Parts: sequence; C-alpha cells; structure tokens
Amino acid sequence: MLNTVKEGWTTFKSIFTGMGVTMRHLFGPSVTLQYPDEKMELPKGARAKLYVNIDDCIGCNLCARACPVNCIDIETVAATSDVDLGKTSTGNPKRFWLTRFNIDMAKCMYCDLCVYPCPTDCIYMVPEYEYSEFDRSGLVYHFSNLKPEMVAEVKEKAEKEAAEKKRQKEEMMRKKAEEKKRKELEKQKLEANKSIKEDDSSSKPENNDS
Amino acid sequence: MVEILDNIDQREMVINMGPQHPSTHGVLRLELVLDGEIIKKVTPNIGYLHRCFEKYAEQMDDYSKVIPYTDRMDYVSAINQEHGYVLAMERLLEIDVPERVEYIRVIMAELQRIASHLLGIGAFGLDLGAFTPFLYCFTEREKILDIFERTTGARLLYNYMAVGGLMKDVHPEFKTDTADFLKTFRPKIKELNDLLSYNDIFIKRTANIGVLPKQVAINYGASGPVLRGSGVQWDLRKNDPYSIYEKFDFEIPVGMGEMGTLGDCWDRYIVRVREMEQSLRIIEQALDGLPEEGDVTEAVPKRIRPKNGSIYTRSESPRGELGYYIESNNSASPYRVKARAPSFVHLGMLPAISKGSLIADLVAIVGSIDIVLGEVDR
Ligand code: SF4
Ligand code: SF4
Repeated sequence: MLNTVKEGWTTFKSIFTGMGVTMRHLFGPSVTLQYPDEKMELPKGARAKLYVNIDDCIGCNLCARACPVNCIDIETVAATSDVDLGKTSTGNPKRFWLTRFNIDMAKCMYCDLCVYPCPTDCIYMVPEYEYSEFDRSGLVYHFSNLKPEMVAEVKEKAEKEAAEKKRQKEEMMRKKAEEKKRKELEKQKLEANKSIKEDDSSSKPENNDS
Repeated sequence: MVEILDNIDQREMVINMGPQHPSTHGVLRLELVLDGEIIKKVTPNIGYLHRCFEKYAEQMDDYSKVIPYTDRMDYVSAINQEHGYVLAMERLLEIDVPERVEYIRVIMAELQRIASHLLGIGAFGLDLGAFTPFLYCFTEREKILDIFERTTGARLLYNYMAVGGLMKDVHPEFKTDTADFLKTFRPKIKELNDLLSYNDIFIKRTANIGVLPKQVAINYGASGPVLRGSGVQWDLRKNDPYSIYEKFDFEIPVGMGEMGTLGDCWDRYIVRVREMEQSLRIIEQALDGLPEEGDVTEAVPKRIRPKNGSIYTRSESPRGELGYYIESNNSASPYRVKARAPSFVHLGMLPAISKGSLIADLVAIVGSIDIVLGEVDR
C-alpha cells in the first residue's frame, strides 16, 4: 500500500516537472518560422545552387574533372586566330569558345569540390534554394551564352583552321623531309667526290711507280 | 497437406515490421515470429538503402572524391565519418596535420556528436510516445547545424574535411558562436533530464527492457554508447587516442543499472545524455586551446598517390567504433575501401537482446541502440 502511494507520488511529481518545462517553453519565444511567408536568411557561402559566371570562364575543364558525379558537361572549341576573346576579370587570357556548359543540378550532390580548383573563381554556390521543377530536364542549367548559329559558326571556323593548320603542318613536314633528303643526297655526293679524289691521290703513286 | 499442417505451430504468427515503419529509424524490415505479443524470434532484413559505398569509392579517380560519399553513410554524424576517413588517409600518407586543423576537427566532431545524440535521444523519446522532447532536441540541434552551415555551407552533408587539412577555414565568428551555444546548451541538458530522463513513464518503458549483459556486448563486438551502457569503460578517444584527444580532460560515462538492470535501454539512453556533457567539456577546452593563426590547407597534398600498402584506422563516432580499411596500389584511386560500421554490428545484436520481450518493447530496443540505416547498408 505504502509502495503504491510512493510510486504514484513519484509519477505525479515527474509528470508535473515535465509540465513545468513545457509551460516555460509555452511562454518563451517561438522558434518556428512560417516558411513561405517568413524565410530563413541563408549565410554567406551556403551551398544551395551552383552558378557560373561564364564571362570569366576560360574553359579549362578543371571543375568538371573534380566532380565526383560527373554532372558538369563542358564542350570547348579553340578560338581561331582572327578573334580575340579577351581576358577574364582576373587577367587570364581566354582561348576557348564555350559551346556547351551544362550543370545537372539533379545529379549534383552539393559537395563544393568543383569550386576550389577553378583558376578564375567563376564557378560558385549561391544561396538560392527555391528552384524545384516539374520536369527533371529543367534542372539542367545551361550557362553557355553562345547562340546555336554561333556555335555552328565557331565550330566550322575552328575546323577550317584546324584543317588549314594540319595542311600547313603537313606541307612543312613534306618540305622538311625534302630538305633532309636533298641534304642527304648532297652529303652523299660530297662523300663520293671525296672518295674519288682520295682514290685519285692514292692511285697516283702507283702510277709513278710504273 | 496434412504434413504441413502438422508442422505449423498454430500459436505462432509471422509479421513484418517495416520497411516503412515510423519507429525503425529508416528503412529496416524486421521479421518477427510472435507468440501472442511475445517475440520468439527477430530477423532484421537490411539492404534497402544500399548504395555501394565501397565499390563507388574504388571507382573514384581521386582519394578526396570519396569524402562526400563517407558523409552519406551516416548522414546524422557526417563530420565523424569524414574524420575517420581522413585520419586513415593521413596515416597512410604519413602527413602531419597542423595543430589548428586538429583543434577545429575536434570541435566539429564533438559538436556533431552532440547533434547526433540529440537526434538519437529525441527520436528514442518519440518512439516511446514522448513527442515534446523530440521538438526541444531538434531546436538545440538546429543551433549546431547553424554553426555548421555558417562554416561549411551545408547543414547535413558537409564535405568539410580534406586529407591533410580542411576545405576552408572556419567563419570569423565561429569561436563566439560556439561559446554562445555551449552557454545556452548546458541548462537544456537539465531540462531534458527533467522532461524525459527521469520521467517515471519513460523509466517504466525503458528500465529492465532489452538487457544487454556485459559479456554478450563484448562478444558481439559492440562499441560506443551501446557497449558503455552495459558498463564497459571503452572509448577510443581515451583507449586508443587519435587526433589530439589525449590533450583533453573528460570522463567516459558508463551505465550503472541505476533504474533497473545493468545494460537496459535506460542505461544506453543515459550514457548518451551524459556523453553530451563530456563533449561540452571537450569543446570548451578545445576552444581555449584553438590557435588563432594558421593555414588550414597548408598540409593538403596536391596529388594523393599513396605507396603500396594498406591501413586500418578506427575512430569513435557517436554510434561506436568506426573503422576504415584502405588498400592502395600506388595509383590515384583506392584499390579497396572497407568501412566497419558500428550500426551494422549493433543491429546484429538485436535478435539476442529482444527475444522474449513484447512488440512494444522492441520499439524501445531498436530506438536505444540508435542505428542509422544509411550506415548499416552503406
Ligand atoms: S558541387 Fe560537387 S557534385 Fe555538384 S557539380 Fe560541383 S563537384 Fe559536382
Ligand atoms: S574550372 Fe572555372 S574556368 Fe575552368 S572550366 Fe570550370 S568554371 Fe571554367
């Protein structure tokens, strides 16, 4: 009997202690944010969405190689000699047209590994998190600002130039080879002449003997 | 037909608990053989969250690319997972880590330990019907996550540690933020004790339930709070110190069977609560010792290409002994990475400790071993 009363008392007490705690919280400040109306301020450097400042990108592909899930897809075309793409704001010369720069945010795991290797600091995370889509393809972000016609044009030009260069190179190679051949021939001739002369000089004493 | 009927024990019933069950802490399926409400046999079925961590790690072309994947093993204590991995890599590469890095790592790891225990405790209470403590635990955990977010940029999966250092330095107000948190958190532990730990209903639901005797715990290879709950003083931070843990003064709380039998659910629970206090002590000391200046990326190697060889390193994660076995064949990608996950081991003990208990108590037992299914399945 006494035990039951005692037990009842401890239960009662512990419940009331708990109630006291909840009471204190009830009159304390609320910690809940009413989300769509109120929003939490994300700190600087929060990793929520990738952004590429394409004007500063030199197309070095380092970010794509650092990504563990291969969600960065870059295609570059070498700029032809008649155009100057200028420099980035950090002073690095740009040598490539960025014909494709896609980031698949559906695949991205927000690890930040692509951000560190960038030589011009042009790929970074921005604190923006409301970008859900109805279709998965909407999460592939296209950062290249070249128009399709432009892409075709630069590709064609680059191909032409590459072909031209290749031709020139071949020409040069051929010329070099010819030159080499000529030199070789001359050398041989020279050597032949020499040996003839030597023959002559060595045969002279014989003649004298006779 | 007759034969089959003869073999059936008609008082037995097989039911599935999970995979979508609110109190299995993830996607776990428990196959229960019941006699009325008494459990005769439990078979845990795992693998619903298997993501091939080990195989993934082997096909990465860089050792540092594995770190974000270790985060995803035990997503509740990501920093501790990273810590284990970078420790192993540093031993394999024989890198000396700057002191400032070690201090920051310890502070981060202990903050994460508190966050993880808060979640474990809150969810444990929730399993037993105590809804309020869960919310209060989460409010506190939120503050820790805020500190993490300001430093690393992420709230859950940080990818903050790098082999030989850290990805970046802490944010400028890190020290004051953490000190503020310590100040406000101390009284909250007392509040939690009032609300949950010494609540009579809670004690009635956890004391003498799921008793794990000392010897059984050791035989099963238990570690962390589960082992300490059974009264074994074993903490890798003390017994096999890594990083700079030998510099700090802290105690190892163990279960003492205060409310019932040694090694019951309450003991395992209270060990976690007391461990949070010890973590606070460690953080306090680490904040005092944290060197002001220093480059946290100075010892990070440009290219990681360890020599032929292998290493096993263990560290104390909030759930127990987390080990990484890494084998290298002198290339840029690991030849083999194996993780020894404490949750996996602890789940294996479930059949042994839940035999003969009620279904309602099984919920308490699963909650008290505090498993994370991401780590069990990997
Ligand atoms: S954040 Fe990580 S996963 Fe996302 S694009 Fe960068 S490297 Fe790839
Ligand atoms: S690393 Fe930077 S500069 Fe290089 S391709 Fe990526 S975004 Fe462009």
